[in-house]
Amino acid sequence: MQKHDAVIIGAGPAGLNAAIALRKHDLNVLVIDEFPHLGGRLLGQLHEEPNGEWWNGIKEAEKLVNEAKALNTEMLTNVSVHHIQRKDGAFVVHTNRKNYEAKNVLIATGAAETANPIPGWTLPGVMTIGAAQVMTNVHRVRVGEKGIVIGVNVLAAAIARELLLAGIRLHSLALPINNAVTDEQSHPKMVMERLSRIAHLAPSPLLRFGGKFAKYKWAQNIAVSFYPKKGINMWDVPIHLRKAVKEINGTEQVESVTMVDITKDGEIIPGTEEEIPVDFVCIAGGLYPLAELAAVVGVPFKYVEPLGGHVPVHNEKMETPVEGVYVAGNITGIESAKVARAQGKVAGLSIAFRMKKDAAIQKEIEKAMDEVKTTRDNATIQFHPEIARGRDDIHAQFNKYLNG
Amino acid sequence: MRDVIICRCEEVTLSQLEEIIKHHDPSARELKLRTRAGMGICGGKTCRPLLDKVLQKLTDKPPTDDIPLKVQPPVRPTSLAQLGGSGDET
Ligand SMILES: Cc1cc2nc3c(=O)[nH]c(=O)nc-3n(C[C@H](O)[C@H](O)[C@H](O)COP(=O)(O)OP(=O)(O)OC[C@H]3O[C@@H](n4cnc5c(N)ncnc54)[C@H](O)[C@@H]3O)c2cc1C
Repeated sequence: MQKHDAVIIGAGPAGLNAAIALRKHDLNVLVIDEFPHLGGRLLGQLHEEPNGEWWNGIKEAEKLVNEAKALNTEMLTNVSVHHIQRKDGAFVVHTNRKNYEAKNVLIATGAAETANPIPGWTLPGVMTIGAAQVMTNVHRVRVGEKGIVIGVNVLAAAIARELLLAGIRLHSLALPINNAVTDEQSHPKMVMERLSRIAHLAPSPLLRFGGKFAKYKWAQNIAVSFYPKKGINMWDVPIHLRKAVKEINGTEQVESVTMVDITKDGEIIPGTEEEIPVDFVCIAGGLYPLAELAAVVGVPFKYVEPLGGHVPVHNEKMETPVEGVYVAGNITGIESAKVARAQGKVAGLSIAFRMKKDAAIQKEIEKAMDEVKTTRDNATIQFHPEIARGRDDIHAQFNKYLNG
Repeated sequence: MRDVIICRCEEVTLSQLEEIIKHHDPSARELKLRTRAGMGICGGKTCRPLLDKVLQKLTDKPPTDDIPLKVQPPVRPTSLAQLGGSGDET
């Protein structure tokens, strides 16, 4: 069986940019993705940056794919990886097609969405906000006539805008009702606190509005206490922090939701129930690193909340403690596509260095690592205010592994 | 209010999980074995983070660095022929 220098799992910005870096060093690379199109989560993205420029993910994906193709990169779509085994210092990558052998593997599988489970959330017509994004921007299918978004966070705001641009009507963005799972997502003060700390960056008026309360807890408290009953409009759609969806109703599919007013601590105000007719519901519960393959190949993990939960231990060179296994992109923590792309380059170069031990590559790696930092510092979309601290935590953990 | 389903494949509800947690103070694995939550055809794709959250919230234990429920291959639904090696080798 042919042994590839590197098998890359995931053709998002991280995986594709890594492949480009490896091909530039003339290494033998195979990229595998289970989606029918190359580009990963880029394909759904469309946002306006604070400077008025648009970030068009489909175009960005095209650029990367074209560059990879020009370098004769072997890329497979519609192929799922279900296991990675270590074998004689190398790896066997198991897929639904066949097995591939590799001297190095890069796991660049991105992120997955969490749900906000509330009564009725399993009815047809309820989907994650990311599913609505893919249907709208990738498959060009209308998700419904009029819907509601449950969950108020960066992803919800970004994708709500995309749905509106596509001509889909939204009743509002509102919080999920409180339970053991929705927890901080259902708490007006916590939602406000998080929004206000990332506000200055975000492209949306919602988040800029939050920015006014950024510095002071008391200001956030007041903002939540006196939050207008009819919500605050963003592109003519109300954002509610003092209304929650208690239940999704319907027999065969979504017909309506039941909304209630809530106190600033997220408790239901009795007698405020209101039934709102909608034919689809988007649940925006947030993102977490999709790291299952790193787990099965034996990479250790650390829980780092600002990065989105359990992340595979790795260093700034994108190496894991398992020699030959690399990670890049959202599997290492939830950040924007630009950061993922920059991390991919580092990972590709690190693999190239392992294969060639060329001092010039070492220099390139250092430059690419700086690029990751600059990109992070200049990010216009950020999923967690403490991202930099999260990064320090996980890198420190890697050093502990090596030394202890 | 209606109950909330947490594991869709095995139709396990939040109140069933709460009940088990109250009476058994279970580990993630025990919670899974007692309720079948996370053991359905999708292999916990949707409910894994929800189960982690329920357990963490209701037992008030800080999250551990290890992933609470061990991840087992295959991480995608796979046919036996593929696992058996007949779809294998070049
Ligand atoms: C629903 C959603 C919406 C987002 N919206 C935005 C946004 O608007 N703006 C923004 O900046 N960021 C957004 N993000 C964050 C996004 O993750 C990053 O922007 C960026 O796409 C991450 O790049 P990546 O290369 O790490 O992963 P991805 O772009 O997610 O690519 C990972 C690829 O790996 C493939 N894959 C995963 N597992 C397997 C497997 N077992 N076998 C084969 N292939 C596999 C997937 O099919 C996917 O194509 C969003 C994320 C999600 C999940």
